[in-house]
Amino acid sequence: MILRRLYGDGPVHLIAHLASFALAGWAIFQLAGVRPHLYVLGWFVGAIVLHDFVLLPLYAVLDRLAAARLGPAVNFVRVPVALSALLALAYFPVLLGKGEAAYARVSALEWHGYLARWAAVSAGLCVVSALVYLVRGRRSAGSSS
Amino acid sequence: MRPPPPLPPFRPGFWRSPLRGPWLTSILGSVLLVLMTVSSVTGFLSHAAYNPSLGMNAIIPPAKDLPLTFDWFAGPSWLYAFNQGLHVNVGLAAIPIVLFKLWSVIPRLFAWPPAATPAQAIERLSIALLVSSTVFLLATGVLNIQYFYVFKFNFVVAHYYAAVVFVASLAVHLVVKMPVVFRTYRERGLAPLRASLAETVPEPRDPDGLVSADPARPTLSRRGLLAFAGAASATLVVANAGSASGGPLRALAFLSPRRDPRGSGPNDFQVNKTARAANVTPAMAAPGAYALELRGGARDVTLSREQLLALPQRTATLPIACVEGWSTFQDWTGVPLAALARMAGAAGAREVFVESLQPKGILREATLSRDQLMAGDALLALKVNGADLSMDHGFPARVIVPALPGVHNTKWVARMTFRT
Repeated sequence: MILRRLYGDGPVHLIAHLASFALAGWAIFQLAGVRPHLYVLGWFVGAIVLHDFVLLPLYAVLDRLAAARLGPAVNFVRVPVALSALLALAYFPVLLGKGEAAYARVSALEWHGYLARWAAVSAGLCVVSALVYLVRGRRSAGSSS
Repeated sequence: MRPPPPLPPFRPGFWRSPLRGPWLTSILGSVLLVLMTVSSVTGFLSHAAYNPSLGMNAIIPPAKDLPLTFDWFAGPSWLYAFNQGLHVNVGLAAIPIVLFKLWSVIPRLFAWPPAATPAQAIERLSIALLVSSTVFLLATGVLNIQYFYVFKFNFVVAHYYAAVVFVASLAVHLVVKMPVVFRTYRERGLAPLRASLAETVPEPRDPDGLVSADPARPTLSRRGLLAFAGAASATLVVANAGSASGGPLRALAFLSPRRDPRGSGPNDFQVNKTARAANVTPAMAAPGAYALELRGGARDVTLSREQLLALPQRTATLPIACVEGWSTFQDWTGVPLAALARMAGAAGAREVFVESLQPKGILREATLSRDQLMAGDALLALKVNGADLSMDHGFPARVIVPALPGVHNTKWVARMTFRT
């Protein structure tokens, strides 16, 4: 009980966290030794900063502005734009040719048409969404998911 | 009296989505748990598939590794291709689910006070490790499969240790949160899935503060949000997954970095590393210059390519399966490795150390286990799809072994040293 009063939770909570920190701490210690020293730990911190303080606020604000303007019809914009943006987020190195020099060096091939295919798929998603809106959304906006 | 929150994001009612709450987070967390478990298990299996305990195979020094490795399987042939196809594509599928999951718990990042007890402080530290290792793993994985080596560190080493941090912090997260998840399912089951947009109401206020104090009108039902997340995952997977199976599906993989073939000839399938990139020249492989050395057995044997071609040949359909998640199945013809071991009087060999003509680089050599050496379809290939190997595919001779990671199928084989 004294543990709960001083620590704020039970012994399982404390022991589980100490065990977890022991293993994670060992791995972080090994990571800190990866050259260039500490640079890799910077990526760890950068990962959380970029997500929590850049990416999430950015899309949350855009989404809130769009929803305020469009109401439930926002989904017909939100979904295709988000899918297109996620493709861009996950595949920006091929889209922008960022890894092409390394790829060409090992494979003797080049990348062609990625940006065009992404644009075509994005356009296709928007068209499908618009068609669904025209057929169904306008009729029942506000009453379906 | 506690001081009031200093900034708006810390104030109750700042986060307004009416969908946030323990139920939504539980279901997103459950889906994510399945995906990340598959991605983690296949990742650690891939680590084992390199047989780091043999020879100089280890990329992570054994003294700095966990004792998790075992003798990797010598079949079925598609095993490593399947493992890596899962690892990479399930990892891609996890990206949107991670984003939705983190969105669902963002009010917790701005909890006020940040930690009321030491237990909360320690838990938040552990959550920070979980989030940063997750984002780190997904980001470095995505960059690596696209050859964008913007990180200056060794990918394999960093991705591996980050995975250890991830597993350690996920395990404790499960210990703390699974009771909440089970309670949520017990109380509400999957009932919220049945609610249409008109029927979508906020969850009851929760002690963790996930449910908004000032919810906005919903624009999406909970099942709509889950369908949205699922569609996002499917989109990322479709864009890449075809390159894991090879064949006609490859053309569907519209953003896969390994989608384009070189042509339609017998040697025009994907090359991991060209002869030029490996600094192997045609002169080194020429008939007068090249001979395969078999060492470490009862007798030393030297064989020209003509002599190898005169030995009994075997043909097998085997993949080159890359750690990056792409693979390509081809028909290879050559001499079984086991036959070479017998010729050298090393039928009882415990392992074989294979070296390439490639002058330098960590992957100019690989050590194969006894099971891999003795597997019926383990070949020293001389031909592929009926034609002589091209320089880029390892002429004069290359190793091809069932279920072996691509880069351990050594090309331009110069010497095989049997160890007993």
